[in-house]
Amino acid sequence: MTQIYDYLVVGAGPAGMAAGIEASHAGLKVLVLDQAATAGGQIFRNVSHTSYAQQQVLGSDYGLGKPLLKEFMAAPCDYQPLAQVWNIEPHAQGFTVAALIDGRSVSFVASDLLIANGAMERPMAVAGWEKPGVMTAGAGQILLKASALLPKKVVLAGSGPLLLLLAHQYRAAGVTITALLDTTPRSNYWRAIPWLIAGLSMPKQLFKGVWLSLVQRIRVPYFANVTDIKIVGNTQVAAVRFIVAGKEYEVPTNLVLLHQGIVGQTQMAQALACKQEWSDPKQCWQTQVAEAGQTSVPGVHVAGDAGATGGAKLAQLEGRLAAMARVKKSCTHSSWAKKLAYLALSWRIRQLHWARGLVDRLYQPAPWLSTPTGTTVVCRCEQVSAAQITDIAKAGCAGVNQLKAFSRAGMGPCQGRQCGLNLGYLIAQVQDRPMAQVEPLSVRPPLSPINLGQLAQPSDV
Amino acid sequence: MTASLFSRLDQHQPSNLDSCSIRLNGIEHQVPMSMSVAAALLYLGQRATRTHPVSGQPRAALCHMGVCFECLVTIDGQQNQRGCMRSVTANMSIITTSQSLSE
Repeated sequence: MTQIYDYLVVGAGPAGMAAGIEASHAGLKVLVLDQAATAGGQIFRNVSHTSYAQQQVLGSDYGLGKPLLKEFMAAPCDYQPLAQVWNIEPHAQGFTVAALIDGRSVSFVASDLLIANGAMERPMAVAGWEKPGVMTAGAGQILLKASALLPKKVVLAGSGPLLLLLAHQYRAAGVTITALLDTTPRSNYWRAIPWLIAGLSMPKQLFKGVWLSLVQRIRVPYFANVTDIKIVGNTQVAAVRFIVAGKEYEVPTNLVLLHQGIVGQTQMAQALACKQEWSDPKQCWQTQVAEAGQTSVPGVHVAGDAGATGGAKLAQLEGRLAAMARVKKSCTHSSWAKKLAYLALSWRIRQLHWARGLVDRLYQPAPWLSTPTGTTVVCRCEQVSAAQITDIAKAGCAGVNQLKAFSRAGMGPCQGRQCGLNLGYLIAQVQDRPMAQVEPLSVRPPLSPINLGQLAQPSDV
Repeated sequence: MTASLFSRLDQHQPSNLDSCSIRLNGIEHQVPMSMSVAAALLYLGQRATRTHPVSGQPRAALCHMGVCFECLVTIDGQQNQRGCMRSVTANMSIITTSQSLSE
């Protein structure tokens, strides 16, 4: 017989772990599904198994994941690692979540869902980014956390806190950073000034950010206001070309790590028809939420970077708040102390989101990166170039979903995760429409690949 | 295969990770246990994972977190496995559809 959970959490990062802890201690029957082998998400990936040397390089913020992970592992909730959620749909008693576990599809039923599967890096479609030797900065950090791998020599390019942090960690580990190409447009700094007040509400983080940003300028070959990055090479990366103040540079390298911020993974919420909204400061689609991560679909909540991106600390608090809201639903009355704790937490979350406004403005992607041109590959899976997409947009294509039918862009195995945003930007640019009016790619199951054999033999737990 | 662009951080220190033997395109190698398949390829200097079905050009993992589907390899006979989502295990066979890249 299928077990019915009170609360099913997808993702065991800071948000999912915090929600699992809170809800299970309050007596709910909770299941946490996670795709990784160990809990922690990408931010605290492998935190329980990293060596002393890795921890030294990664820094103290990474270590903050340890107590949370320990508390999560001790919490009375069911936790299923190595589970790839491939379908999520409404069910008479709530929702059914189907996941691939050890090569078999297993379905779970829960009355309430928390989507906490985090974010991915904003795709950075520069010329040549499909060549072997190009990875994301996040990939660089994952290799360090999970496999203790460090590049021998590397070029870092893009914008955002993660890029600076990685530069810092690499330097600490003795990696040669051949160049750091900062694509943050100069105008962003002016635009961010009014938001300094918001940043000042978190002085420690602000100080750390400013320090991280300044120290790279001194310690590594640093180029500011970089544009027109081209990655050149025959079958793999040989060099990076770029322009600073009208002058062209070329730096030889076999490895380039790109980064321009993170965007929430909205696919699961979209699959459940939760309303999406365009965020102008964050420059991405996000799931519309009311109080405590409640989406437009009753019973479905989002927490952490899967909703409005805000980083690990905020994710942890949002996970906890969402779980408290779920617990409140099952309790006929809650004590004054609990009500106060709930209010204090939601106030703190609001404050942290406000402070995040500074990062959002400062590291908004440069417009030239969102609207690639010419032969630059936009859809990596189906090898569709920017020129092909602009041509279709010029012919009057109605939106990204029609563009997908005409060009195959977004039809490959990554299901538009790497091209969706840029398809929208290109249509918006060509047709002079605001992004908020260019609907995102529709999401259809399976959310992750499943073969016919696995599909034909579903089994319930 | 070409020289690896990566090296291990704690190569010279006693490691809690034992190594295991895998076969990459039929050739046996020792890799640290618990590494992802995609990481093991980088570690061994296999810079490309697949040949792109449309362009015919070599590709390699971009994200290492299950999003980009560029690290698709054949693992123990199962095709199109995301190398970044699987850990290496003893005697695992990994086949890339892309050949070695010249320096």
